[in-house]
Amino acid sequence: MVEEESLRVVHCGGSELNFRRAVFSADSKYIFCVSGDFVKVYSTATEECVHILQGHRNLVTGIHLNPNNHLQLYSCSFDGTIKLWDYIDGILIKTFVVGHKLHALFTHAHAEDSVFVIINKETPDIFQLVSVKLPKSSSQEIEAEEISFVLDYVNQSPKCIAFGHEGEYVAAVRDFYLSVYFFKKKKTSRFILSSSRSKKHAKNNFTCIACHPKEDCIATGHKDGKIRLWRNFDDDKKYTYTCLHWHHDMVMDLAFSVTGSSLLSGGRESVLVEWRDATEKNKEFLPRLGATIEHISVSPAGDLFCTSHSDNKIIVIQRNLEASAVIQGLVKDSNIFTGLVIDPRTKALVLNGKPGHLQFYSLQSDKQLYNLDIVQQEYINDHGLIQIELTKAAFGCYGNWLATVEQRQEKETELELQMKLWTYNKKTQGFVLNTKISMPHEDHITALCFGNAEKSENPTLVTASKDGHFKVWILTDDSDIYKQAVGWTCDFVGSYHKYQATNCCFSEDGSLLAVSFEEIVTIWDSETWELKCTFCQRAGKIRNLCFGRLTCSKYLLGATENGILCCWNLLSCALEWSAKLNIRVMEPDPNSENVAAVSQSSVGSDLFVFKPSEPRPLYIQKNICREEVQWGVFVPRDVPESFTSEAYQWLNRSQFYFLTKSQSLLTFSTKSPEEKLTPTSKQLLAEESLPTTPFYFILGKHRQQQDEKLNKALEDELIQLPLTENIPAISELLHTPAHVLPSASYLCSMFVNSLLLSKETKSAEELPDDIDMEEEKESEDSDEENDFTEKVQDTDNTDLGEDIIHQLSKSEEKELRKFRKVDYSWITAL
Amino acid sequence: MAAGGGGVADSLSPAGVPCAFSPHSQAYFALASADGHLRVWETASNRLHQEYVPSAHLSGTCTCLAWAPARLQAKESPQRKKRKSEPIGTSNQTDLLALGTAVGSILLYSTVKGELHSKLISGGHDNKVNCIQWHQENGCLYSCSDDKHIVEWNTQTCRVKCKWKGDNSSVSSLCISPDGKMLLSAGRTIKLWVLETKEVYRHFTGHATPVSSLMFTTIRPPNENQPFDGITGLYFLSGAVHDRLLNVWQVRSENKEKNAVMSFTVTDEPVYIDLTLSENREEPVKLAVVCRDGQVHLFEHILNGYCKKPLTSNCTIQIVTPGKGKKSTPKPIPILAAGFCSDKMSLLLVYGNWFQPTIERVALNSKEPHMCLVRDISNCWAPKVETAVTKVRTPVMNSEAKVLVPGIPGHHAAIKPTPPQTEKVESKRKLGGNELSIEERLGTLDIDSKKEKDDLPQTNSFPVLLAQGLESNDFEMLNKVLQTRNLNLIKRTVLRMPLHAVIPLLQELTKRLQGHPNSAVLMVQWLKCVLTVHASYLSTLPDLVPQLGTLYQLMESRVKTFQKLSHLHGKLILLITQVTASEKTKGMTCPEQKAKLVYEEESSEEESDDEIDKDSDDNWDEDEEEEESEKDEDIDEENEEEVEDTEEKDDENGEDRDVASEKELNGDSDLDPENESEEE
Repeated sequence: MVEEESLRVVHCGGSELNFRRAVFSADSKYIFCVSGDFVKVYSTATEECVHILQGHRNLVTGIHLNPNNHLQLYSCSFDGTIKLWDYIDGILIKTFVVGHKLHALFTHAHAEDSVFVIINKETPDIFQLVSVKLPKSSSQEIEAEEISFVLDYVNQSPKCIAFGHEGEYVAAVRDFYLSVYFFKKKKTSRFILSSSRSKKHAKNNFTCIACHPKEDCIATGHKDGKIRLWRNFDDDKKYTYTCLHWHHDMVMDLAFSVTGSSLLSGGRESVLVEWRDATEKNKEFLPRLGATIEHISVSPAGDLFCTSHSDNKIIVIQRNLEASAVIQGLVKDSNIFTGLVIDPRTKALVLNGKPGHLQFYSLQSDKQLYNLDIVQQEYINDHGLIQIELTKAAFGCYGNWLATVEQRQEKETELELQMKLWTYNKKTQGFVLNTKISMPHEDHITALCFGNAEKSENPTLVTASKDGHFKVWILTDDSDIYKQAVGWTCDFVGSYHKYQATNCCFSEDGSLLAVSFEEIVTIWDSETWELKCTFCQRAGKIRNLCFGRLTCSKYLLGATENGILCCWNLLSCALEWSAKLNIRVMEPDPNSENVAAVSQSSVGSDLFVFKPSEPRPLYIQKNICREEVQWGVFVPRDVPESFTSEAYQWLNRSQFYFLTKSQSLLTFSTKSPEEKLTPTSKQLLAEESLPTTPFYFILGKHRQQQDEKLNKALEDELIQLPLTENIPAISELLHTPAHVLPSASYLCSMFVNSLLLSKETKSAEELPDDIDMEEEKESEDSDEENDFTEKVQDTDNTDLGEDIIHQLSKSEEKELRKFRKVDYSWITAL
Repeated sequence: MAAGGGGVADSLSPAGVPCAFSPHSQAYFALASADGHLRVWETASNRLHQEYVPSAHLSGTCTCLAWAPARLQAKESPQRKKRKSEPIGTSNQTDLLALGTAVGSILLYSTVKGELHSKLISGGHDNKVNCIQWHQENGCLYSCSDDKHIVEWNTQTCRVKCKWKGDNSSVSSLCISPDGKMLLSAGRTIKLWVLETKEVYRHFTGHATPVSSLMFTTIRPPNENQPFDGITGLYFLSGAVHDRLLNVWQVRSENKEKNAVMSFTVTDEPVYIDLTLSENREEPVKLAVVCRDGQVHLFEHILNGYCKKPLTSNCTIQIVTPGKGKKSTPKPIPILAAGFCSDKMSLLLVYGNWFQPTIERVALNSKEPHMCLVRDISNCWAPKVETAVTKVRTPVMNSEAKVLVPGIPGHHAAIKPTPPQTEKVESKRKLGGNELSIEERLGTLDIDSKKEKDDLPQTNSFPVLLAQGLESNDFEMLNKVLQTRNLNLIKRTVLRMPLHAVIPLLQELTKRLQGHPNSAVLMVQWLKCVLTVHASYLSTLPDLVPQLGTLYQLMESRVKTFQKLSHLHGKLILLITQVTASEKTKGMTCPEQKAKLVYEEESSEEESDDEIDKDSDDNWDEDEEEEESEKDEDIDEENEEEVEDTEEKDDENGEDRDVASEKELNGDSDLDPENESEEE
């Protein structure tokens, strides 16, 4: 390991995907979404992340396809820049520095080389829509200072602004009014809905807006679930609107289909509604999407929709309202009550997922594996309903047992508790409910732990509760004469002076059980359930409790709410040492003696790694994040690392993951940032060479001719080709069955052109794209030199004398690729 | 280092279809089935990740496939090369998959984009592609075919870099040396080529049949003292069609190599081989061989030098279905592929049929030579489209699961009798109970019924039925009695029931209370009656707490909502009923309780009666009663006449009894609080 590399905190677990509307690429093959400081490119077919576009230094707030070149993508960020990307290769093309904090980005085809952004200039709450002219320049970083004001006092959310058809007007909503700005007339019209406090109109607030792509029609969503369709709004007096009402709660987003024939709407009901012909009667539904629909977007080709949901997923939906793919990050909708648990069987991270579900998240592949439906009740997503919450989960006996606790509390006194014990059935490879215990305790369960002793024939589970008891559950042979079954029964109930039991944990060998009752820690013998001894530090309630491991198994650690960390020696029953540390999370490493503790201070969270045997920490990392860390866990590595540096040795056998209050999952990495870049650049491995089809013969040749034309103009290099070359292609066209051909009108002009231009052809069979790619790579990354030279050699080897490779300048090559893509897009669509 | 061993695809046999795990973390498993579909499965969630049908899947089915190595290392500068062994974690996304077809073309499929990336045709093979190997570093691809040639492709340009004749017959398998400078090919003989010059470096006389798999097993030579040129001293492995031996060869410095160094024996033709590379001398090579018969053989061996005897496997893994019912016998489930996980301690097994395989991670910690895993794959046949999109798994919740609600034994820790003595007594009793044969029970029943015949008016009466039902545990009889709704009838029955039946009745009631709430409503009436009427009797029992512990817990949990109120209510009811009862009984005729045994001493009749009552009160138990009845059977017969005689006197005694019961009831008011407190 190279010493100078420092430990960095890195994000994992597919950070937020639902911050803004997702954007489809022109051919619907890719879908883009903002994710923290990055833009992620996903394949709609495989749900895989193809590229991560990184370069912004702050939250990315808006993305849009370049209307003039649909292979490029604009993105804007809080860091005040607009960046232009080539998303196919994941390359940053240009950066425009605007200087203000950018809140949203809009483009449309009719605004030549300018984009629209939302900024806030003076007062913090007033946002303006401005247009930014993007100067043309060859340099990488350009200052874009030409800002012209369009609309004032807009909502900062991009859902509240929409551009009308042909870019003639822009409509914005805020609170109770809709304002429309006409670019040609340079005039703003304003329509106000009644906002009286009477019940009927109290929820008239606008929430979102969409403009019809073909007609002068604006759809607005409202807080009371109504959708209003505005027409004739160019006239202040004659304007009309019609209402569509299905949603019973706020309309979260609206979108028109590409042709404008249908309107899509969604909200908290998690039902996607398609209004055909903008009438109330013609509705189609796609229900049970799992969580609140936050955004809806439509692919430019019109074949796909997608909805972003509050539980951090994007669902790709086909035109016939059938979900075809789910891009799912770490579910972040609900609170994480269960903490971070590791499934010993799959090594997956387990935590709260969808409501009532446990999500299994593979850290190795950074992907959600599945959601396990624990509650098994239809989830009704409605405001104000009190749901059953999954509060605790624990695995025992190498993943053979799973214990879950669910609760529902409507009022203070009405607590419903249920504990379920699931066994992993090897035959069917799934969990099977073994025992269901209703009201295992009379109050909230605060801790749940399995006795993970080696003797697995006698599994033990301990639950601690606020009712002042802890219960020991054991697996007993429950068989009567009818069936052979095992089930869990309560074996022992313990309490200590009516104090609330707050934590429990087993020692490594399972011989001792430590239960903390508020300020007091009690130690119980797990054989006889006798109280062995008590520790009391009078330093506040115990927040975390854990035994030391391996050589430190004689120590017990406890962290209190008053910011004291205590270490007791179990042999001498005395306090070994204590330290003043406000600890939020304390996690022992299952593979070593180390214990990681995250403390909270006013500045941020700090990480301490120490061995219980010595009070001096092994490793300290200050300020791992600004927020409060809620949970942490050590995940054993499959293959141990070999950090020689003493400070990092604690990471050799396990990796530490932690979850912050805003539910971002973080971990430590020593890899340099460049290494993280590789997924994007490694895609350049092999240039695409699609197989030839009859159409390729016809159009591909023509395309090459066009390319050659360009080449000729530029390099004046021309090789004559016999005139007969074209004839087989024509005959092929004539012999191809008509039903597989594109429409005649499409082919005609090209075909005629190809006949006309037949003289200026040449024999080069393929585009010199590879070379260009290499050039780009080279400019990008000088590390690649070896590769590059090798490749050149390769081409030399294969060069059988018929290929002449042309060196093109970058812009030409871009141009070429554009042409090529234009031709391809319909071939592949067939 | 998973490699497709499926050199020969047999469409009929499930084993032997070309398949491979993705490199490094084995996140995916690609399988090209006989119907021409390529399916990629996620190993962690056992989910179909994607499916691809090549346009020419009917004419040119896929014959072999290989994952491209993750491309990370290619970019690193040489001084950082040490880190090659380190797992790259989430960033090493694998992408390209090379498919060789029966018509000689090679397809490169991008699993990230889910579409065909490129097609390698021009200048390539004109017959079936047998094996594809990616070069670890330079992005080259090697393929061999039935057309006797080996082709080196440049995947960047998708063009042929070099093509040479590999053998006089078809070339069936390839393998690239660990340092990337040599290539093994297998045709009629196994040849080792120098990649730079395309010259043959070594010949190995191979197998009699076409070699289906070739694989290097070590990356370092066994003797570390000698200078290492990258190839000399390395071992490699070969398996062939219809050959039950896997041969291990060593590349030696001397030119001629006749025989294999050693061999592994398996039960059938190997179709998929995976191994963990040994990185030093001490570390054994672990080898997992999937055979055509669907078994996996595991070998663990330190390679050093010759070994004449073929080695047998250390462990064999088989998978079978559970044999349901009597008829069906367990059937074997074929294993399609097996790959070592990166920790080298567990094995990913792919089994089932090729269109819906199950992927499971099996830990290899057992030392036993044969592992037989019982797996039920019948429900895997159901379409999983729904789960594929929503990714929700529903665990099984069937009625067999045990349900614990407050009050049911097991929900709360059982109240154990404090003195250990009682436990012994209990166990003794149990034993005694077990010893009772059915015949004997019937005997006692007969006697009972005889008695019933004797006094006809009582036969159908509830107390008798109840007592009989409790004794014989007759469900229907008990139902008949306990399901009555007539409150008066209940009262009278309870009043007249024999005292020894009180505890069994309570236990029966407890059992029934745990059932459906509707039936519990009826039972509550019974319970109330029993507790009010027989409170005094119960309070005298020494082992009341363990016997009625569950009932107590049940009651407590049921009345939790208004705990104090219901306690007060209960106490008041108890008081009032007993006061009224005592008033009533003055005028009522007493319920007759016939003594089962009358033991007459010389002294007066009254005394003896009292004594018997006491006896039964003190430690009257079901089993004891039975014991007694057993013992007393003889006596009974003898005494029968006497009993009949005494019956006449019973009427007289009735009044005496009345007095006695009244006494008891009056005495209850003292005992009562104690009883309640016990129950609290």
